[in-house]
Amino acid sequence: MLIVDVLIAVFVLTGALLMVTSALAMFRAKDALSRINVFSPATGLGMPLVLLGCYIYTLQHEGFSVYRLLIAIVGFLSFIIVSSIASNTLSRSTVLAGSPVHRYTRPNRLVEPLRLADDGDETPATPETDPQG
Amino acid sequence: MSIVFWIAICVFAVAIAIALARVATAKDLGSRAIIGDLVYFAAVGILTMIAMLVDLTIMLDVIFLASLLGILSTIALSRILTRGYR
Repeated sequence: MLIVDVLIAVFVLTGALLMVTSALAMFRAKDALSRINVFSPATGLGMPLVLLGCYIYTLQHEGFSVYRLLIAIVGFLSFIIVSSIASNTLSRSTVLAGSPVHRYTRPNRLVEPLRLADDGDETPATPETDPQG
Repeated sequence: MSIVFWIAICVFAVAIAIALARVATAKDLGSRAIIGDLVYFAAVGILTMIAMLVDLTIMLDVIFLASLLGILSTIALSRILTRGYR
């Protein structure tokens, strides 16, 4: 009984502290893309841990049920998948809307191909067609 | 056991306060959108803690629905950012 309580406390408090960590990291990140990036520990690790603590609490107090197990598994996976898709969509629309990208944000694949294309001698020679057929 | 849930509620509330202060000082719209998402998930965490405090039987359903529907506000905000352009 005691070990289960300690497990619930560790899971719940770790999830809450990860949320605070992401909120504090919003101050340290320089641009919107980095902020979207540092937000992912909160939803990718923090909220699944809270869900896990909640499921263990339910298991301890109300017993096992297939329905609750199914709902917990679907919720656990959807926290990870849904938040990833949402972050991807939001960062894509942030870049499309012309939000400035700070120079400390790297690797920045959105800018580096443009720099290579500006000075043409630096680009590696890639033949368009193979002469041998 | 309930002292742990109260501590977690306080930590989530601190996260919401920090995030709202960041919204007030942010300049670009993408940062505000993602910080609004953080406030949403912290509020879901607070709801979960309250559900465990008062022994609700639907607490897993609350997290399940919140995790599935949390994408809607983010998608809507990203469409607003690009003015409807996909």
